Amino acid sequence: MMRFSQLRVWLLVVAVVTVLALAACSSDETGGGEAEPDKITAWAWDPYFNIAALEIAKESYGNKLELDVIENAQDDIVQKLNTGLSSGSMKGMPNIVLIEDQRAQGFLQSYPDAFFPIDEYFNLDDFAPYKLEPTSFDGKQYGLPFDTGVTGLFFRTDYLKEAGYTKEDLTNITWERYIEIGKDVKAKTGKDMITLDPNDLGIIRVMIQSAGSWYMKEDGKTVNLVDNEPLRKAFENYKAMMEADFVKANSDWSQFIAAFNSGDVATVPSGNWIAPSIEAEESQAGKWAVAPIPKLDIEGSVNASNQGGSSFYVLNIPGKEKAAEFLGKTFGSNKDFYQNLVVEVGALGTYTPASDGEAYQTENEFFGGQSVISDFSKWMEEIPSVNYGLHTYAIEDILAAEMQNYLKGKSLDDVLADAQAQAEAQLK
Amino acid sequence: MKRFIRAVQNNNLFIKMFLVMVISIISVSVLITFSTFRMSNNLFMETFSITNTKVLNQIKKQFESYSYSVVFRVINVQNNGTIKRLLTREDISSIEASNSFYTIEDQMERIYSEDPNEANLIILGKNRRLFNMKYMNWPVSADNLIDHRITQNTKAKPNEILYQFIPDSEITNGRPMIVATKALTERSTNNIYGYVYIPIRERDLRGFYEGYTSEGNSVLVVDGNGSIISSNEQELIGQDAQDLLAHAEETEENGLEYQDVHVFGKDYMLLAEALPALDMYLVNLIDKEMVIDNLIDTKEIVLISIGIVLLAVGVVFIISRRMTTSISKLVRQISDMAKYDFSKPVEESGGYEARKIAQAFNYMLNELQEHVEVLLKTQRKQRKSELEALQYQINPHFLYNTLTSVKFLVKEGKKGAAFDTIDALIPLLQNALGNVDETISVEQEVTNIKNYVLINQTRYGDRVKVNTLISPDCLHYHLPKLVIQPFIENAFFHGFTKKKQGFIQILIAKRDHKLICEVIDTGDGMQVDKMQSNKGKRQLFSGIGIRNVHERIQLLFGHAYGVQVSSELKKGTKVKIVLPLLEEITKNNTKPKNNAKNDFLHGENF
Repeated sequence: MMRFSQLRVWLLVVAVVTVLALAACSSDETGGGEAEPDKITAWAWDPYFNIAALEIAKESYGNKLELDVIENAQDDIVQKLNTGLSSGSMKGMPNIVLIEDQRAQGFLQSYPDAFFPIDEYFNLDDFAPYKLEPTSFDGKQYGLPFDTGVTGLFFRTDYLKEAGYTKEDLTNITWERYIEIGKDVKAKTGKDMITLDPNDLGIIRVMIQSAGSWYMKEDGKTVNLVDNEPLRKAFENYKAMMEADFVKANSDWSQFIAAFNSGDVATVPSGNWIAPSIEAEESQAGKWAVAPIPKLDIEGSVNASNQGGSSFYVLNIPGKEKAAEFLGKTFGSNKDFYQNLVVEVGALGTYTPASDGEAYQTENEFFGGQSVISDFSKWMEEIPSVNYGLHTYAIEDILAAEMQNYLKGKSLDDVLADAQAQAEAQLK
Repeated sequence: MKRFIRAVQNNNLFIKMFLVMVISIISVSVLITFSTFRMSNNLFMETFSITNTKVLNQIKKQFESYSYSVVFRVINVQNNGTIKRLLTREDISSIEASNSFYTIEDQMERIYSEDPNEANLIILGKNRRLFNMKYMNWPVSADNLIDHRITQNTKAKPNEILYQFIPDSEITNGRPMIVATKALTERSTNNIYGYVYIPIRERDLRGFYEGYTSEGNSVLVVDGNGSIISSNEQELIGQDAQDLLAHAEETEENGLEYQDVHVFGKDYMLLAEALPALDMYLVNLIDKEMVIDNLIDTKEIVLISIGIVLLAVGVVFIISRRMTTSISKLVRQISDMAKYDFSKPVEESGGYEARKIAQAFNYMLNELQEHVEVLLKTQRKQRKSELEALQYQINPHFLYNTLTSVKFLVKEGKKGAAFDTIDALIPLLQNALGNVDETISVEQEVTNIKNYVLINQTRYGDRVKVNTLISPDCLHYHLPKLVIQPFIENAFFHGFTKKKQGFIQILIAKRDHKLICEVIDTGDGMQVDKMQSNKGKRQLFSGIGIRNVHERIQLLFGHAYGVQVSSELKKGTKVKIVLPLLEEITKNNTKPKNNAKNDFLHGENF
């Protein structure tokens, strides 16, 4: 009897030990909550420009932050942000994202809770005023301004000289005057004055912003085409250029670059970011100069405008303070960092104290010894501030189509009225 | 070393049993573990090939829908009159140019926007006008493109859609790309007026299948030339893999579900699907080793097996140890039995079986002992009867002779001597007729001897003198009856045949806790072996002769005691009787009890 009970005890021991051994073998996973992440991610699109700038920022921050910069095409960023933010799930979203100024309001107004206000992390007064309006919403600053799209009129000094014009003749002129000069250049040198992509009305936007106007009224929502005097003037100028027959058409960036690198066009009215592309053609060194952008022949228009430019935004997810701190300490306040940015990446920031820096004063031999960066930062401060609103690109598609109609002979009143009607219908 | 061997011998049973069990357990575990591995591997590979075939079909569908969209776009571009017109026209004015650029892109936008996949759409006119729908994906210029290999190939085969691979190079911005190309021809003349390119970045093409891949389960796209144009294993992209192409073709042609191949220096399971429209093969390579490693945690299974083996061995050790130690102990006790006179019962402990055996053994031992004891008792009784019978045989001649001597003494008037003789005879007879086992004190024995000697001297004269020398401290010791008398008798009648005179000395003393009695005569001496002759039987006092004194002493007291005789011719004989020191008369048996079994053990005495 006793033997049996002993045996039973043994069997029990064996069973227990076996179960324990098996249980010990099976792995168990522990789930964690949403903790502050060690790694901060950032989305940007240009490895030679904004991504490079982030890398320099990371370095100047003393590599105190584990920053993971992920390259995405700009369209992809827009699409992913829209998908992610509209679903309300912030999963897979980056901490820092770069958004083009003209699209920023669209995101800020649609998903105000998704972004983290960063007013406290830098001094707003240190930045060009035109940059603040598109990057803020409802009185709060969401974007940290990155590059400026301050425009200038790049021109071939040799062609202009051949046509009998000097730099002074191109300084602080109106678009009407520009067209006249263009005709002379075409006649005397056989070169086109400008290259344009018919699908991209960038030049129109440059013109209207110089007069403090945009496709929408100041509320950023009301479509403002038909009674928009600067726009009307800009359309007239555009048609005048076409009719003057000095416009070389292009359909993409490489053709745009090729147009002036090949020496086919005499001027490039564009954002400052085109400078590296112009300088890339070393055989043309010394043959280029930059004048202020022409203005519209109406009151209130200045010889300064903007084309493009983007800013950094911090998403309202764990790690936001870290991300904002990082941006504030680099892009938001570090003067030396901006000098590096200019020298190494050629990116011109909108941080005004940086313009005193040494790098900004450098004379550029390619542009005949002109202090290009210094000039740009001067013009930057004069850029009229506008609210880009929500629908810049949608309206521009409509305008581009109507522009073709206008060129074919439709009256400007009808063109703008039709565009207004289409835009209102579409955006309602 | 000796101890070790001894330990091995002692645990022989346990070691054998334990080894057999351990070997069995280990071999069973090993076999089960391996067959588990093998079975799960086979099952897994089977399932894997089925699922992967399905997956591959799914991917194939993606590729087919991609190739369909390519065809669809190409046809749309080819059939688009506006595009054709604008590509062939040389524009003159800015307005015309602006208009045609705008229109062409507008048309392309329509064609392009119908398709959701990541492929780009580029149209290149003979007039070197290039329209690129997704400039970001491939910022290529007309000059670069028109002289490129892919355009030249297309020009050579204007009626085919070619899928061409461009490895990562400057022209593709460092990204490998797969470009579907087709020349745009005028139907009537077959003149080429432009080219349509539908480039897709390898990265985007990879998106078709990347979700189905994992480490060790990779997908490769091989073009008709044997180049790997896309793969989730990015380092393979652009490599030339003719062997892979050959394997894929073989798999496809023979309709194999899968085959095992050796490529890239490793063994893989290969599944393949042809993409005839694209002139490509979709190849799925499964690194068996890695996939199975991921699936089956070999370490865990082996650890579990080892754990079970250790546990089982431990349990077996304890159980078999308990079983065998009791049996081994039993065996040891049994083999040591002789050392302990067969008297010590074995310990009844250990397992059930061992205890039963021990019980049976002890029972048997008891029975045996009882039996032997009975036997012994019977034998002793028999011997005693014999001795008694001998003892009672008081020789009638002795009595006759003695009585005759007395008659003569009375006749001669020696009244005193006659009285003395009769007085000596009476206690002598009284003594002799008592129990044979009874002992008498040394003192009494000496008296008996004296009486006997007196009677003999009365009959035969005193030419043989008898001396007794008794140590006083021995007087109270006891000794069996008729132990010394036969030797005196022997000396009287046989020691003095030639010599007519002499002495007989009787010495009794204690030495080494033994009682030593010596009968020494100065007679003729003799050869020892002749001592026990029956000559002159007539003169003997009783049936007990010298021949059975020794036997009797040993029967009573054991081998340590007995009679030693040494004799020298013409000098005399010396008889030494060794007896224990007996203090008192014991009933029936005078033997020391502890010696009884000793006699039994050395049974040769019987």
